[in-house]
Amino acid sequence: MKTLIIFLCVLLSSASFSRPISYVGGHTLMANSGSLTDNIYWHYTPNINYSVGLDYQRDKVSNEYFPSARFTYLINRKNTAKSQRNLYLKTGVGLNDSNNHFYSLAGDWETRRLFTSFSLKQSSGAGYDMFEQSVKLGVAPYLGDYGDLHTWLMVETKKNDLGNKRITYPVLRLFKGGALIEMSYHEKTDWDVHLMYRF
Amino acid sequence: MKNLLLLSLLISSTAIYAGHHEQHDMNSMHSHEGHIHNEMVNGKNIDVDAQRFDTFMIGIDSNAVAVVSVQGMVCDFCARGIEKTFGKDKRVSKIDVDLASGKVLLAFPVADDIDSADIRKKILNNGLNTTDIQIVGK
Repeated sequence: MKTLIIFLCVLLSSASFSRPISYVGGHTLMANSGSLTDNIYWHYTPNINYSVGLDYQRDKVSNEYFPSARFTYLINRKNTAKSQRNLYLKTGVGLNDSNNHFYSLAGDWETRRLFTSFSLKQSSGAGYDMFEQSVKLGVAPYLGDYGDLHTWLMVETKKNDLGNKRITYPVLRLFKGGALIEMSYHEKTDWDVHLMYRF
Repeated sequence: MKNLLLLSLLISSTAIYAGHHEQHDMNSMHSHEGHIHNEMVNGKNIDVDAQRFDTFMIGIDSNAVAVVSVQGMVCDFCARGIEKTFGKDKRVSKIDVDLASGKVLLAFPVADDIDSADIRKKILNNGLNTTDIQIVGK
């Protein structure tokens, strides 16, 4: 059970990481390393409205592996001259056991200076359900041009109905070209590092 | 110790790029001195940063250029997608993406190759919207 909970938590957290749909024909490769799990997630965007992907996760405690398939659908997008707003439906299912699955409603609004996102997620397994909500706020301390190193200082807060405790922690996001690194730290979960490359 | 490391990362990345962008600001001020590119095409003024346009045109003086105004282009991933998409188009000789102004410059050696509908479709395939396309040098 503990392993399953860890699996679902990380599966969900990486699902909310960053732009889940690329340009048409674009691939995205992500890697995540935390105190309990490591995972690699690849997704492909065949159509501007959705992406499909595969996730492969290793539980560091039990040394078990959990492959899963993912699907993300763009419900709505609003572009303006200075901003972009998105609303996504995300889902994933375990390839070893289809009883392990999740679905999520996520949204973001971003300008070159400000970022905000939310996520509502329901995950289920054998005899197990969890609902989690999260919000992330960010600001860019400077405005970079295309090709520069871009920096985001962020704060994320999360709460699920298992622990029923809210955790809030700082996040540093750096990206340049097609590469992105995001680091977060919380005293209970220690460091969490995400890497992403879009090609 | 870990908190100190995180704080150091934040401060150093911010400090490095604060300096970098002071230089950008000064460049853009100079670009408006003696460089006017308000060319009239179909009765419209070309709305593009003059110095950026001059730099873009180096080595491609005989090319026609599509100046594309784009909505929703707020991050490097958007810009990279546009560059990748048009980079695969053999008709396009040079690409410039300006996040600040929301402009994309596309150079075409053969002016007749400029297909506004195709440009709009490619921008849309990046999840963005085209609001205007102006042609310079056609």
